[in-house]
Amino acid sequence: MTLLKQLWLLTAKDLRIEARTRQTLGLIVVLGLLIVVVLGLGLGPEQLNQSLAAPAALWVAYLFGGVLCFEKTMAVERHDAALAGLLMAPVDRGVIYLAKLLSNLILMFALAAIVTPIAVTMLSFDLSPAPGGFAAVMALAMIGYAALGTLFSAPVSATRLKGGLLAVIVLPIALPLVIVSTQLLLAMFRDQVPLTGTGLAILLACDAIYLVVSWLLFELVLEP
Amino acid sequence: MTTQPRHAGLAIFATLYWLLTALLAAAVTVMTLYWTPVEQSMGPVQKIFYLHLPSAINTLLAAFIVFVASIGYLLQRKSAWDDLAAAAARSAAVFGAIVLITGMIWGKAAWGQWWTWSPRLTFSLVLWLLYVVYLIIRPSVEGEHRRALVCAVYGIVAFLDVPLVWLSARLMPDIHPGSIQLEPEMKLTLLAAFVPVTLAALGLTVTGWRLAASRRRKLADHAELEAQTA
Repeated sequence: MTLLKQLWLLTAKDLRIEARTRQTLGLIVVLGLLIVVVLGLGLGPEQLNQSLAAPAALWVAYLFGGVLCFEKTMAVERHDAALAGLLMAPVDRGVIYLAKLLSNLILMFALAAIVTPIAVTMLSFDLSPAPGGFAAVMALAMIGYAALGTLFSAPVSATRLKGGLLAVIVLPIALPLVIVSTQLLLAMFRDQVPLTGTGLAILLACDAIYLVVSWLLFELVLEP
Repeated sequence: MTTQPRHAGLAIFATLYWLLTALLAAAVTVMTLYWTPVEQSMGPVQKIFYLHLPSAINTLLAAFIVFVASIGYLLQRKSAWDDLAAAAARSAAVFGAIVLITGMIWGKAAWGQWWTWSPRLTFSLVLWLLYVVYLIIRPSVEGEHRRALVCAVYGIVAFLDVPLVWLSARLMPDIHPGSIQLEPEMKLTLLAAFVPVTLAALGLTVTGWRLAASRRRKLADHAELEAQTA
């Protein structure tokens, strides 16, 4: 069986479980909407009129939604010792990592597809100056974030604190992604500066480092 | 039979080590306050620089020790590496806090604000957060092996994060002054300040490491005694 076929089978398994139980996507979308509503209420109409609140609110929604997502997709493997079975299968652990990453990314992109238009509307954010730049920055940042979250979800899912601990671990490490993407969004939407090569290069460097390191380390941390 | 004299020798060495560090720190403080000239643009508050920069370098050194020890643990799975990483992370958090506090004092004197989201302050804050979180997650993970594993992976990724934090923070608007021109006396004081600060950082790390090893030995002895009496 080729690596691509293995990758597809493992990702499809996760997505099939999600389609049958519908527990993760529903949860992260509702959480994302609640975050947008709470921040919208907290900021009030005056601050929303001069608003760059939407990217900040969306970041909070993506970060916490992401943590729930990473936790749930790995928790599935902990039920009925499914992970032990998966580890006995003739599949490279790097492929297991990539499949989990892909499942998490699909769920996070689904979260973004639902919550972003709602946040943009509710928080009076004008996306028209650079919609493509906004999508590119958020997508690249999410890839790096999902790479880190997938790595740490494996050992943390076996602990008592699970999601709480995962959030404490992943959020500080993901701060470079938050800093770069928020600075790029401020430049594009507040200062009307087009997307710069330097900013994108740092985002790509973050993604490359997080992906390679996570892929290498996942093999060492994956234990039943 | 040889452990008692060895312990006594180590205790004397440790006392002398900390005494020497304290004496050197006192000498550098006197040098900074009474011998080194006052910088023209910043005034006396610039003298905080002699503690700020050595602390920053030692924070990075401690972070590097966490990185190396974490790799060591993942390769050999020996508790000594985990103990070393934990001790170095404690040094990184302590010296990171000194960098942050001295940076804030400097900021208040220079710009009238305790905190600005400038690249260097943001970098110091994120660096400190990374190693404080390392210390917070340690007691949160049950089981010695799993704790060491989670912390080793975190220690590696956190160190690789340091240049990324530095690069990303540089995108933020900066109000820091450019490089400060140092007189020869200032350069000498700065070099001298590195000695006690580095000794303190190393001492803190090694003491933490030895304490963890001795605690581990005592627990093992206790378990053995219980097994014999059962």
